[in-house]
Amino acid sequence: MSLQVLAAGPQTTVQGAPRIGLRHHGVPLGGPADPLSMALANRLVGRPPWASALEIALGPARLRFSAATRFALTGAQAKLRLDGRAVPWHRTLPASAGSVLEIGPCLAGARVYLALAATLAADVFMDSTSTYLPAGVGGHQGRALRAGDVLAWTGEDRTLPLLETPRQLRPPLARRWTLRVVPGPDWPAGATLAELAGLRVGARMDRMGLALAGGGLPEVAQAAARSSEALFPGAIQRTPDGQGFLLLADGQTTGGYPHLLQVVRADRHLAGQLRQGDDLRLLAVDQATAQAALAHKHALMAHWLPGLRLP
Amino acid sequence: MTRIRPCGDDALRIEPADLHDRHDIALHLRACGNWPEVVTGRTTVTVQVDLARLGLDQARTLLNAQLAGVAPRATRATVPLVLPARFGGEAGPDLDDLAARTGMAAADIVRALCDSPLRVDLVGFTPGFAYLDGVDPALQAQRLATPRRRVAAGSIGLLTGQVGLYALAGPGGWPLVGRICRPLFDGAATPPFLLHTGQPVRLQAVDGP
Repeated sequence: MSLQVLAAGPQTTVQGAPRIGLRHHGVPLGGPADPLSMALANRLVGRPPWASALEIALGPARLRFSAATRFALTGAQAKLRLDGRAVPWHRTLPASAGSVLEIGPCLAGARVYLALAATLAADVFMDSTSTYLPAGVGGHQGRALRAGDVLAWTGEDRTLPLLETPRQLRPPLARRWTLRVVPGPDWPAGATLAELAGLRVGARMDRMGLALAGGGLPEVAQAAARSSEALFPGAIQRTPDGQGFLLLADGQTTGGYPHLLQVVRADRHLAGQLRQGDDLRLLAVDQATAQAALAHKHALMAHWLPGLRLP
Repeated sequence: MTRIRPCGDDALRIEPADLHDRHDIALHLRACGNWPEVVTGRTTVTVQVDLARLGLDQARTLLNAQLAGVAPRATRATVPLVLPARFGGEAGPDLDDLAARTGMAAADIVRALCDSPLRVDLVGFTPGFAYLDGVDPALQAQRLATPRRRVAAGSIGLLTGQVGLYALAGPGGWPLVGRICRPLFDGAATPPFLLHTGQPVRLQAVDGP
């Protein structure tokens, strides 16, 4: 049984668990750029949050099911069709043998997640099936999918209850975003930080990070002489051209550009849905608020995704 | 005086008074088991905090207590790991160009590299990429104008003052002078990466394939 790729779109990859505790080996977090959406997709097909699933960036993509199974789609908003008929997202859906799934171009958000009620065959690197493109490891031969690829699956479950993600748990999607931040270690002493508005997501938009134009990120004294220190997803660096660079799941583990801001952990999953041209506002919060926001999100999810921890 | 500062909402950065203590601090904190990530930088050690278990203030208190238990220099390896390597040719396609640019004979560059008391200062950027210092200061090299799309695993890159070892194949912008003959990454081994920060290294030139 398999999923056949008829059209892959600009970047469709197999993603699985984040890799934790390996940054000192230079191994990035990896896993879904929007982990909450992938966990929600897997929930609808009775799978653990980090079961291997497809991350479909921007679309459009077309896939064929070789056998009957159940599946679910979450993440970015796009026109979804199964055998030519519109199907909803955030629901468990049945596919028949030979069914063709069409995912249109993403209308809001950047990444659609497709989870199957089956185990997708994938390469394992450091205990995770997540594709890490720069080193060509994990997922399907360590690379983005292409038309003609065949992804085998086993153990499909056709008797699953048909579920729907509760509305209040569906992450908001827009072309304008607000992310909460705290100052990073290189935020200039004395510079005030309340809100940075008018940032725009630039052309570079991949799993390593997003270029951010505008917003007036403050200059840092002796920026070029900064030493290379630890970085984590959610870090916003100021590059030599004065732009921002926001690190995502595959972001590098160390770097020397000034680390001005840090998107709080509670909001990092949203960064995986930002795309070129989106409007971004950064809202400063204090440490206590950042921590409370994460606890609040975990509590909100607890009945639907018990034990889920946002990476 | 060691300082601790927040690094965002879920990490703390330790700035040790003596940079050489970074590796001992990192090993100790990793062994403590409270920190999902312990990452050594050029001048600091940063720990990520599991906010679901620990507030940042509690984390700082715990970190201070644990730092008091670091035994300085106790864990530092002194015996260098000898890594056999082939230089020039297909293994080190930029060696001849470096020789031409600097006026040094290729054989002298290789000898100077093999005589350098190297030490892994940092592992990072990409999986297993090790930055080594201790390079003979006579060796001068700059980044390639156009990075390679694919560098073979085990490749030895050279920049002025630094050697970079590529544990995995991938893109790379350092001029390449040779390649290590043994794997720097073995997925079946524990740990899978041969090199870690603080590890002394000697390169040893070997002939043949």
